Amino acid sequence: MKADRASSMVWMAVGLLSIYGSFQLGLGTLGEPGSGFLSFLAGSFICLMALIVFIQSFLQGKGFQVKISTLWKGIRWYRSALVGLLLLVYILVLEWIGFLLTTFLIVLAMVKGVERLSWGKALLISISASAVCYLVFDKLLKAALPRGLLGF
Amino acid sequence: MDFFSNLIIGLSVALEPTNLLYCFIGVFVGTLVGVLPGIGPVGTMAILLPVTFGLSPTSGIIMLAGIYYGAMYGGSTTSILINLPGEAASVVTTLDGYQMALQGRAGPALGIAAFGSLIAGTLGVIGLQAIAPPLVSVALRFGPPEYFSLMILGLIILTYLAQKSMPKALMMAAVGVLLGTIGLDAINGMPRFTFDIPEFLDGVGLVPLAMGLFGISEVLLNLEKTISREIYDTSLKSLLPTLKDWTQSIWAILRGTVVGFCIGALPGPGTSVSSFVSYALEKRVSKHPEKFGHGAIEGVAGPESANNSATAGAMVPLLTMGIPGSLAAAMLLGALMIHGITPGPMLVKQHPDLFWGVIASMYIGNIMLLIINLPLIAIWVRLLRVPYAIFFPMILLLCLIGSYTLNNSTVDVSLMLFFGVVGYLMRKFEYEAAPLVLAFVLTPIMENALRQSLILSSGSFSIFLLRPISSGCLILAGFLLLTSVFPIARKKKARDGKRAG
Repeated sequence: MKADRASSMVWMAVGLLSIYGSFQLGLGTLGEPGSGFLSFLAGSFICLMALIVFIQSFLQGKGFQVKISTLWKGIRWYRSALVGLLLLVYILVLEWIGFLLTTFLIVLAMVKGVERLSWGKALLISISASAVCYLVFDKLLKAALPRGLLGF
Repeated sequence: MDFFSNLIIGLSVALEPTNLLYCFIGVFVGTLVGVLPGIGPVGTMAILLPVTFGLSPTSGIIMLAGIYYGAMYGGSTTSILINLPGEAASVVTTLDGYQMALQGRAGPALGIAAFGSLIAGTLGVIGLQAIAPPLVSVALRFGPPEYFSLMILGLIILTYLAQKSMPKALMMAAVGVLLGTIGLDAINGMPRFTFDIPEFLDGVGLVPLAMGLFGISEVLLNLEKTISREIYDTSLKSLLPTLKDWTQSIWAILRGTVVGFCIGALPGPGTSVSSFVSYALEKRVSKHPEKFGHGAIEGVAGPESANNSATAGAMVPLLTMGIPGSLAAAMLLGALMIHGITPGPMLVKQHPDLFWGVIASMYIGNIMLLIINLPLIAIWVRLLRVPYAIFFPMILLLCLIGSYTLNNSTVDVSLMLFFGVVGYLMRKFEYEAAPLVLAFVLTPIMENALRQSLILSSGSFSIFLLRPISSGCLILAGFLLLTSVFPIARKKKARDGKRAG
């Protein structure tokens, strides 16, 4: 599927949902605009622009269109996917395991799993990165970082 | 007389030890992110925004502004030495800067870029200081319709300059407006699009949004690429340009200063456009245009001066009217609003220490930048040799900690990751994030202005057309929209013709 065609359909859905939500909030009158007035205008505009991009995707010549599959062709997309997944895991376990240990494990997973550094370098980077962040933010700047099960 | 008394007020604030320290931190970090490809000034400002919560608003804005103009200095280093611009405003410097380095003239190229930046930065701040008070008195006469139309014009100019597709850029601006409406309605207190999540009652935070769109997405995209940095190994014998270099460059620096300041002051274009316009101007006025692209020093001096004075220019609409002229200025606006300060014409009256202190800090910051950049050039070059494998986890960690400490909640971190993935997909599908963030920042002010205008006119949209400044802005915005449609048709015709041929 063409990239522009697919993306315009997604934005069209976003626009339609916001129009629906705006009606729920109430549009008010022009003299006294309601809570959903501006979001209604924004949603309508998103739909209009999405429609233009959608139509353009049919009018443009073949040479000017990009297929979705080509967007991830010939690149190391799995690295960004893995990092995205690791960040998600980080969010899920941060408050449970605590800042220091979670940060150490996640940085280790990134430099070892994504960058394929040697164990020595990976451990050095992950220990120093988590320790420096802990000292600077928790101890120096007194930011309330989550302590978790282990208490640090 | 006012000029000097204001300068004295500003210097007395900017020279306070705390403000000096944060000015230094700002320009230092700015140089660092300017040098390092992979994270830009906007992403860095977003990452450091939570740090400013514990500071006075003046110190916080001084630091964030330092990052903004500091990045312009740092950007030239990588452009000249490794043919890789550290940030968008230095792209054009690669054309002649890298050629000069290949010819063994990296030193003078770096030197003229730094001195040009200092001259332009300082003259730009003088311009800002001179132009701000009269503009404030004009802006005080603005009512809600004028503000609304001016913001619409700013958004249209930004989308007009969109590098890819104007409909996509306009769509992103509308998405920014939509995101800006999330939270409690300021007028009747009704929750909007909060999905029963208490953290959403205050709206989507600028920090997770900007960190996600500019920090996380940038890292995700960079991880896919193979980044190879071949650093030009040159002995930087002398960074001081010769007399001949100066005579060739001085007019380019002065022209770049004027061009940069004027373009920066317009809502929308920003620093990168100013450097391109300056380069084109230098090539046009040069007696030897054929030398451009082959190591012409004017091709470095002009754009590097322009992008620095543009940062001072961008402060004009921000400080006088509360309207950001660029994305980085939008971050400053967001920071002011987080500190409970409403930017606009009243800023100079209500917070003269902040207003003049920030301006005066830019004089000091520019001198600091020259000292940081030239003698320490070897350190910056060495930093480029640090592999990305070490940088990217640090960038991600700073984003994670910064967003968590906003409210000590993982909701903001989740939002940041969500916007990071959305930003990554947006870049893949060629949707620009700049109009989205600018519109997001402007939405609360814009919505208030729109509602107040409609209440004033009893629901008639004609109020926007009956007032001269407002109608002027809207007519210009409409004109830009129309001219953006016709080139598409022309380009399509040309493309079809070419293919048929």
